[in-house]
Formats: sequence, structure tokens, C-alpha cells
Amino acid sequence: MKILLKAMTLALALGVTPVSAAELTVVTAGDQNMVDYINEYLGPLFEKQNPGNTVRVVGTGPGDAGSQKITERFEAQAKANAEKWDTDVAVVHEKFAGPMVEAGYLEAYRSKIDTGKLVSRANADMALGTNVSGYVMPMFNSQTALAYNPALVANPPKSYEELVAWAKEHPKQFGYNGIKGGASGVSFVMGWVYAFGGTDPNKLMNGPFDEAETKNWDNAFAGLKEFTRNATLTPGNAGTLDLLGRGEIAIGPVWVDMFYSWQADGRLPPELKLVVPAPGMPGQPMHYVIPAKGANKELAEKFVALATSPKVQAEGIVKRFNWYPGIDAKYVQPELDEASWNKLFTDISPDDLAKYGKTFPIAPYNKAILEAYERQAAN
Amino acid sequence: MSKRLLGLVLVLPALAVIALLFLFPLGISIVGAFESDRRYGLGNFEKAFALYSQDVIFTMAIVGFSTLVIGTFSVAIAGYLTLGENPRAVAILRWLYRWPMFIPFIVVGQVLRTFLAKNGLMNNILIGASILTPIQASGFLDWRGIVIAFVWKQTPFVTLLLAGAMASLDRGTIEAARNLGASRLRILIEIVMPQVATTLVVGLILSFVTMMSVLSVPLMINAQSPTMITADIAFRINAYGDYGVANALGLISLGVTACVAWIYLRQTMKERS
Amino acid sequence: MTALTGTVEARPRIGLDFWWLPRALILGLLAFAIFGPLANLALWAVAERWYFPHALPLEYGFSFWARVFSPRGNAMESLTNSIVVALLTVTVSLALAIPAGYALARLKLPLRRLILLVFMIPQAFPNLPVYVNVARLFYEIGLNGTIAGVVLVHVTHGLVFAVWIATASFSAVDIELEQAARCIGAGALQAFRDVTLPLAMPGLMASAIFVFLESLDEFTGSYFVGAPDVNMLPLLLYSAGAGGNYQIASITALLLLVPSIGFMLVVERFLKADVLSRVGR
Repeated sequence: MKILLKAMTLALALGVTPVSAAELTVVTAGDQNMVDYINEYLGPLFEKQNPGNTVRVVGTGPGDAGSQKITERFEAQAKANAEKWDTDVAVVHEKFAGPMVEAGYLEAYRSKIDTGKLVSRANADMALGTNVSGYVMPMFNSQTALAYNPALVANPPKSYEELVAWAKEHPKQFGYNGIKGGASGVSFVMGWVYAFGGTDPNKLMNGPFDEAETKNWDNAFAGLKEFTRNATLTPGNAGTLDLLGRGEIAIGPVWVDMFYSWQADGRLPPELKLVVPAPGMPGQPMHYVIPAKGANKELAEKFVALATSPKVQAEGIVKRFNWYPGIDAKYVQPELDEASWNKLFTDISPDDLAKYGKTFPIAPYNKAILEAYERQAAN
Repeated sequence: MSKRLLGLVLVLPALAVIALLFLFPLGISIVGAFESDRRYGLGNFEKAFALYSQDVIFTMAIVGFSTLVIGTFSVAIAGYLTLGENPRAVAILRWLYRWPMFIPFIVVGQVLRTFLAKNGLMNNILIGASILTPIQASGFLDWRGIVIAFVWKQTPFVTLLLAGAMASLDRGTIEAARNLGASRLRILIEIVMPQVATTLVVGLILSFVTMMSVLSVPLMINAQSPTMITADIAFRINAYGDYGVANALGLISLGVTACVAWIYLRQTMKERS
Repeated sequence: MTALTGTVEARPRIGLDFWWLPRALILGLLAFAIFGPLANLALWAVAERWYFPHALPLEYGFSFWARVFSPRGNAMESLTNSIVVALLTVTVSLALAIPAGYALARLKLPLRRLILLVFMIPQAFPNLPVYVNVARLFYEIGLNGTIAGVVLVHVTHGLVFAVWIATASFSAVDIELEQAARCIGAGALQAFRDVTLPLAMPGLMASAIFVFLESLDEFTGSYFVGAPDVNMLPLLLYSAGAGGNYQIASITALLLLVPSIGFMLVVERFLKADVLSRVGR
């Protein structure tokens, strides 16, 4: 019976699927490893399952700048009224998904693919306060944490208060990149506001936006200015990891996946460890989006379905890249052996992640915090 | 055909390329600079000055200082290439000075980031050669790093132009001065430089313009505030999506550069007429 | 040069030329300043593992080269595209700049100053905010994803070097030589082709070098107008460099070095005895 059913579905699928050789264009923000992921793993897998089609990928660079370039690309084509856009799938940071949805660039495809049901986490529905439900599928979830050198930091600080005390005793040993040049510094500042801002973090993360709250932050930013004077400023995400690696600072905020891939590539000593301080530091997903005017929409949906299937999430996202999966963990865990699964949680346990893994504040608060930092803490 | 008309016709293709492919999109951007909160006005400029005036001054100071240093080094190197008396030393110098020119700015930024750091390659070599102790080692990852990056990359460019101009000078004047007993430094300053001053200024202005619009170097080397205008523009666009202030900052940058170039052009016009 | 050394040779030769001490010191310092950072580049290109406190890489290897040259990574295609675009950019820039430079140098143009300043604008206005509009324009006229489009973007940026240096080169050619040719009976075009152009050639070649190098560096415009059809190497370099992936960034930089130095060597042949004369008068 089962075999008959499978055969029927296969026949149906073959009959319905148009057999045409198409080229799928994927544009992805993020580091080089995002491009490598598609070139070395996902692309060949997809091409094997869909013979005759090829996948090509373009990387736009790390950080917000990379996602901004993708947004601008869409904007240019929208304004030029292009009939068929040149991108089929894009991978962008959470911050940019909201504006894209509001501008009407995207296709609501999540309900059309079966893996769409495998995500129940809130950040697949809301992106910094904008409803993006149905338009995005998370590729992976990332988290920031404080990386430290156990040789120099015997008792790693477990909360922001402990960090402030530690930094006072060890001047210039803490390093972060401010808010320009890298999001690890930004997430540190967000965590600082969660800790000392006087506003309930849940309100910051979920809204509603209340202009009056911004007045509560003056003390927090005065403290941050003082703290920064005692700290070392680093030139960006890579800069923090650089200085950590060279022993010029002992502790600093990093992206967990960037930390692990630097260790794997031999640019960071293997002794360094991670800790997430209370009340928490934010992380963010990166999302798969499909432009509404893309040239190969069905193929694009198949691609995203493959990328968010439990097997690929286990093998590709968790095992190869040490990212936290985009779909719910309970679907991914059975596909992995225990050792690989536990590697994700060497320094940060699942409980820690649940307690201290926060999201970024909603967009209006996000912007207000950044501007307040520029005005009060950076001058 | 009158000379003027012919002149215009010859210049037109080049101008047309710039006008259509850059000035037109730029115009749209500039209009955006004056647009804030759906009204037209100077709101973006006010914000730019409120938040970034320190950075504007910093940028002008850094780029100006770098230009001066580049000028000094280029004159020294080109001068030696022209007036140097040991053929082997001159040949070595000629081969040596050009290398930094081929390295893109992004690579310069990245390479210097690990070279100039407190525990970077430079300090490691100096410590290894016992010229420096670990305590004395300091990192250059601030405005000094930016200046070093600019000088490193742009000096060969200006030197190339300058050496060529010097090589074409009439050796007669130089030799006459030597025979009269003038030192080479004096010849350089009083005889050679006045004749190649125009080339030097062309090279320096082109360098100034290039340095004002480099983004990778300040992002990769300078962590502190103040930082350069380009880094602020990138931040404004990527973090806030705020094209208004970004374009306002761009106009400020353009204004500074245009002033410098205008001064040069006025100078040369005066000389010619 | 020989005349000069002749007058100075009168110095007594004691076997060891003491002047080599300060000379060697300064040349040595210069070499350290130039090759120190470049050594960093070379080391990262072959480093497998390198972190503090080791002054040199722990492990050497070529696995990152395999990554860069992986069959799907299209590094070779990007390199070829970059070289082709750079060569075309030089050709188009010179084709536009030679008449413009001659006009600005010789013929009395109104608003000469302003015209020279106009060429400077693409370099002087930081490009980031403008690219959205540039991309939109190119999408509208259908030049997106074509080599021609990318070449035009690069030409826009390189014209300032080409036109300014061409103007200076032509100004430096002695006008009496041209007039002499005209007197003997050469037409305007012939005088230009046979007298002025060869004399200005070294300066024009210098500007060719700069435009070539500038084109190889350019990536933001190439991304907006070229990708995903026309892939250029600097974009790979930028992603790797900004993300701190030193090995890949260094390897890509070395790859870019090859055409740069190659082009310089070729062009120097035209410069005759390695002399750049008459630029900037």
C-alpha cells in the first residue's frame, strides 16, 4: 500500500513538474561561508535532486551592509519596473525582512512548502516588530555571547553587573566594536540596555513602542560611556576576534557561529570559551526570502524546502557550520548523532540558551537605542 | 570650425558619460539630501552636523595630514631617483617604491590591521630583533593606522608622476648648479621643485580625492570615534536606512574636495594667463 | 647621468664606500615598510593555522587555495572577467580622455575649470548612497548584468585620472613643435597623430596604469551592475576581507596582483627606458 502511494505521488510529481533546465540565482548576505555552504553542499545536493537545473550563488558581504545591498538591489528593480527580477532566492538578516515585506517585494511562500510547518518559533512570524509571517523561512539562528580566554579570566562574569566589576579591575581587557562596523558590538549594547535600561526587556523586544521609555535610558548610557572609557575599542566583529586571538583583550562579544568557524579555520586558539551573561544577549535568524517577481519561483520554493528540511538542517547547518537550526530543534535532533548535537552546546547549555538567548528590540526601539548611543556614549 | 566649438565637441563624449551615468543618479540622491520627513529643508544637514561634525573635522585633518606626508615622501623619493649618484641605490629604489601601488585598499586595510596591532607582525619582528621590548610595544590601530595606510598606498602613485616629470627636465640647469657647488638638497628645493610643482599638485589632489572616499580603510583599522565620513555614511545607510543624512554627508564631503580642487585650478589658471 | 657621475668620481676610493651605511639603512627601512605588510599577505596565503602567541603560522598548507579554486567557486571566471573589464575600461577611458584632454589643454574652452571639476565628482562623492539610483538606471536601460554595463561604471570612476593626466600631458607638449609641423604642411589631425600624441604618450600610459588598477579594485559598482551574471574577483576579496577570512582574502589579493604587475610590465615597454616624461607641465 505504502509503495503504491509513493509511486502514485512520484508519478503525479513528475507529471506536474515542468521539465525545463533553469538556473537558480541565490543572493546571500553574510560571510564567505554562506557562499561556500551553497557552492559545496546545498547547490550540488539540489542539482542532484533536480537534474538539469543549476544553482549559482552571489555573496554580498558580511553584516548589515550585505543585506542592505540586497535590499537596494530589490529597490532598484522595483523602481525600474523590471518584469522578471534577477534574484530567485535571497538570504538576509532579520532586520531587513520587515522592510522588504512592507515594500511588497516578497512572495508569501511559506504555506506552499511542507517544511513551513516545522517552524514554530516566534521570530519566523515577527521580525523586529513587523509581521512577516508566511514570507520567510529561517535558515539558522545565531546567538551572541562573550568569548573569553580562560587563562586570563579565571572566573568568567555571569552577568552584566559582574562584567562591569571585572572590567573595572582589569582596565582595557574588555573589547568591543562600539556600534559601527559590526553587529556583535550592537548586540552587546542592546544587552546593556536590557540589563540597565530601566525598561522591561520584554517591552523592548515585543513592543508597543513608547517614546517616553527612551528617557529612562540616560543613566544606562552614562554608565556605558564610563565603561567604554575603560574598555578597548575594536575594529568590527573580526577585529574583536582578532584581538582576542592575539591576547590583546581577554573578553569580548562575538557571534557564536563566527567564533566556531574561526576556531575551525585555525585563526583562533582552541582554548577560548563562551559565556552568555544575564539578563541575556540578543541573537537573530537569517531568513530565506523569495522575491515576488523572481523568474523561477517554483524552483526557488523547492530550494528553500530542501534547505529547511530536517536532514539538511542537521547535516549542513548544525554539523558543518555550528549554527543553531532555523526550524524547531525537535525535528533536527533525531537526525544527528549525540556528539554532533552536543557540540552546539559545549559552552552554552540549552537551558542557558532558553533563558539568556534574547531577540533584538523592535525596530523603533532598535533605532532609538542606536541613536542614543551615538549621542550620549560615543561623544 | 571655431576652436571653441571643436573643443566642446571633443570634450562632449567624456562629459556625456559622466553626466548620464553618474550625475543624473547623483542628482536624485542630492534631492534626497534636502528631503526630510516628507518636507524639503536643511533638516538632514542639521542632523549631520549635530552628530558628525567631529567626524568631518577628523576626516579633513587626517586626509590633509596624509596628503602632506605623501607629498614629502614623494618629493624625497623622486628627488633621489633624479639626483641620486649611486646607480645601484637608484635602481634598487626604483624597483622598491612601486609595490604598494598594486594592492587594493581593502587588502591594505586588512594587512595593516594585523601588521600594526599591538601583538602584530611589526611589533613581533621588532621584538624578535630586540629593538623593542614587549612592554614598549603599542598598537597603531587608530588615526595613525589610517594615515599609515593612506601614505603607504598613495605615495607610489604621486612618486610615479613626479619622477617622470623630473626626468624630463633639462639636465643643463641641474648640472650647472652642481658645478657651482650647490648641494643636492638645495638643487632639489630651488631648481627642480619649482619646475615640477604642477605635477606634484595634480598628484596630491587626485590622492586627496581618492582618500576622501575610501571606506574600507577606516572600517578595518580605526575602531574609535571619531571616524571618517565614509564610515558614517555606510553606518547611516546600513543601520538606519537613512539616505537623507547619508546624502547630506556625501555633499559635505564633495564640498570639501571641490574647494581644495578649485584652489588648485585657480592657481594654475593664474599661471597660464 | 654619466656627466654627473663623472664630476663626482673624484672622491678617493678607499675600497669601502662609507655612504652605503646611511643608504643601506634608509633603503632597508623602506624595504621593511613596504615588504613587511606584504610578507603578512604572503604568509596568510599559505597559513593553515596561525594564532597568537605564535609569530609565524603553525601549519602551512594549500587547502584554502583549493577552496578558492573549487570548480563551483568560479575564481578563474571572475579573474578573467576582471581582467577583460579592466582592459576594456582602459581602452574606453583613453578613447574618451584623449580628445577631451587635448581640448582642455590646447583649445580655449569656456568653463575649463568647471569641466575639470566635473570629472572629479564620481570619485569625490562617496558612492554608497548613489549606487541604488545607478543600479535602477541600469536596470531601466537594460545594461544590468552585462560586461558593457560594468565597463561603463568603471569608466565613470576612472575618467578623472585619465582626463586630468591627459590634460596635463598635452599641456606639457611644446606647442612650437606642433606649429612647426603645421608650417611644413601637415594637417591638424596629422600634426596631432605624428607629433603631439607620441610626445604625450608616456603620460597617457601612466594614466592607463592607474585606470587599470582602479578598475581591478572596484567592487561595489560591479556588484550592483554586474552580479550575478558578471562575477568580479574584488567582490570575493571584499567579502573575505571584511569577514576576517584572511586566508581567502590574501589568496585573492595575490591573484589580483598578477594582472596588475603584468599590465605594468607591458606598459613600461612603451615608456622607453622607463621614463615618464612631461606629465604635469
